[in-house]
Amino acid sequence: MRKFYLLVIVFISFCSFVSATKRVSIGNIVFKNAIVDPDPAPTADFKTLIVPIKRAGNLIVIEASVDTLEGNFVLDTGETYFRNYPKIEDKDVTGITGASAGSFATYVHNFSILDLQYSRLTAQVTDLSFIENGRHMKILGLLGTRLFSKFALTVDLFRNVLYIQKLDKDGNIPETERIYHDRFMVSPFRLLNDVIFLKGEVNNNTYWFAFDTAAETNLLDYKKTKKIMSSMQIIGRSELTGVGGSIFEVIYARFDELIVGDRTFMKNRVLLTSLEKMGNSYGYSVDGVLGYDFFARGIFTINFSKKELEMYIYTAQ
Amino acid sequence: MSKRVYISLTFILLLGSISTVMAQGHNSLIIADDRLVLQIDLKSTQKQLDSILDVAGISRANTEKLSQGNFNVLKDDGWNFGEKNGNLIRFERSLADLSNNPQSRPYRITIRIPSLDGKPGYPTPVNYGINKFSKITVYELASGLTRFILPGYERSKRVFLSGSFNNWSTLKGLMKRADGGWLLDVKLEPGACEYKFISDGRWTTDPDNLIQTNDGAGNVNSVYYKYNYTFKLSGYPSAHKIAVAGEFNNWNPDELSLAKKDNTWQLQMYLSEGKHLYYFMVDGKRITDPLNQHKENNTAGDLCSVLKIGETVTFKLDGYSEAKKITVSGSFNNWDENALQMQRIANRWVLPETFPAGNYSYGFIVDGTSITDPQNPLTIFEKGEMKSFLALKPTHYFILKGYGNAKKVTLHGSFNSWEPHGYTMARKGDDWIIGFNLKPGKYLYKFIVDDRWILDPGNKFWEQNEFNTGNSVLWVE
Repeated sequence: MRKFYLLVIVFISFCSFVSATKRVSIGNIVFKNAIVDPDPAPTADFKTLIVPIKRAGNLIVIEASVDTLEGNFVLDTGETYFRNYPKIEDKDVTGITGASAGSFATYVHNFSILDLQYSRLTAQVTDLSFIENGRHMKILGLLGTRLFSKFALTVDLFRNVLYIQKLDKDGNIPETERIYHDRFMVSPFRLLNDVIFLKGEVNNNTYWFAFDTAAETNLLDYKKTKKIMSSMQIIGRSELTGVGGSIFEVIYARFDELIVGDRTFMKNRVLLTSLEKMGNSYGYSVDGVLGYDFFARGIFTINFSKKELEMYIYTAQ
Repeated sequence: MSKRVYISLTFILLLGSISTVMAQGHNSLIIADDRLVLQIDLKSTQKQLDSILDVAGISRANTEKLSQGNFNVLKDDGWNFGEKNGNLIRFERSLADLSNNPQSRPYRITIRIPSLDGKPGYPTPVNYGINKFSKITVYELASGLTRFILPGYERSKRVFLSGSFNNWSTLKGLMKRADGGWLLDVKLEPGACEYKFISDGRWTTDPDNLIQTNDGAGNVNSVYYKYNYTFKLSGYPSAHKIAVAGEFNNWNPDELSLAKKDNTWQLQMYLSEGKHLYYFMVDGKRITDPLNQHKENNTAGDLCSVLKIGETVTFKLDGYSEAKKITVSGSFNNWDENALQMQRIANRWVLPETFPAGNYSYGFIVDGTSITDPQNPLTIFEKGEMKSFLALKPTHYFILKGYGNAKKVTLHGSFNSWEPHGYTMARKGDDWIIGFNLKPGKYLYKFIVDDRWILDPGNKFWEQNEFNTGNSVLWVE
């Protein structure tokens, strides 16, 4: 019997070790087996929380509070990021060399979106100044959809409202809480490393798309989609300035048929580029990204419990 | 041109599946065989050529050279000359560059798209404004604050007032529950503001405000004008209608009626900073403002009253007693060298003048020769020479402390596109200082102290730049 208890203890310790070990880096120091406690579940004193949305370009922005600090956060897929505001000492004024490169993990207390309150929240801290400079809005961070993994998220871009809804035991939005009823599309998705992957078809070829609320356009990986290039209508080409002033080229194109779920979307706009680095970052190869051009076609609901993306038609209700 | 490309081009053109943007004449841009193929028909009109070059991301400056047969102009941009067949020329470029994308997240790519730039929800400047309410629910308090009231919504849990004045915050403008509605007092600057209420998360325009605007991004907002001027005309007790007409409303005589109050006809309104010509219409008859001595003829030759709203500055220049004519010329008057004449008083030339709040460069024109203001140490390089710099109603002072031994300190930043000469700062004891009128937004800047770039040691906030040396960050709220 003592042996059995010992085994159970060892097993439990092993499980907790596996679930709670993580690679943590602070500055340049990497802690390979740092123990990370999962964040406690949020307090959510509501069935449906209605959060007003603001827009910057095609970004979806909501305000949240960290202790007494209030500010703008971009709704993003995946992890949560806080903007790194490095501070200088007087002696540093003549030269800062790469001190803000990379990101590090941190956690904050008392993070809240109105009535949705997190007593502790772990996030990556990174340089997001380019978002501020690109869209002229003070940004405190990116809110990853992981934050809402126990809820359904519905975004109505017509009324600029985000609904955060609790789910019933079957993972559905309770019937009495349902706001939209004219569903025109439903698609299952896979959640891999906090990234939503949807299967779609472009001109009869099947591709895996990452669904991303912070992508201001759709994207396609040129190499992976070469065989449909003859059906693309090129509408523009430009060079964009990326990290550290690096220049990268993109091509804007239009194509007729995109099928997601049970619905065909016509006249799609897309930006052709390489998504190889993105695939490496996600941990999964990605053929394309469905962004604003796609999700602005309707009111969309992401149900993290059922792993379903739904779309509803805009109504005058 | 390879047969395959040619056939596919012809096929696509025949199908007519290329949009008008692409298929203007025989101009086209397609992807074929791992290359971007640009075909240009030299017989195209200038407009068609411009359009196809735009699509291909090529500067329009090259249009003329191309039409003249200079095909090398695209070489520097990475295009290879392919073939010329009659009027059709073909260029190609490898698509290998597309692989060179180091961005690891979608937003890191799409945030760079400049066409999505813009700031909807912030009113563009207007000459004047008058509020129109079905029921007055927004009004000025004696304290200088503006009270916003939203009647009803008594079942709402929370109501916010959000607008251009609080950066459209959805959390800062929490309204107080009041008898039969909600209210909030806010501080506004004169001029137009756009706003909405947020009741339990849902945006709504002001139901009692009849002025609304579309912000260009698909939203309708309410508009409120905070007033800064009152037109007054005493007497005329038996007049039926008195109105004011001016340049600002295109001399419309029927739009802006004055109301009689305590024996004086009055109209309160918002009027933009700057110079305004106006007259009153008393029962259809034009008169100038008896309370205003400044008069001028308008372009139609009618005598008008002149009103200047803004900040008053007095330009002074000592000496130059031999000079015949000295004027002030600057960015405030489009560098007109004759309009603003200084008057000689004793041993000094003087000119008081009123301009809108803002940042200006200027100089004195002494008998035709331009000089900087010797009493003003703030300078800027403009129009090929040094000019004096003046901030009217400064909203922020850049102060560099602890460099008392420096010979020269200049300020450089995003507010003047990092112009290399920058703004020369003024020494004040051991500090260096310059004031600016900065609109709300983000500014990046640095100082150059005796040829050495430094961040602002008095500002702890900075962000990395493309040179890996950092820029100081200033947010003006």
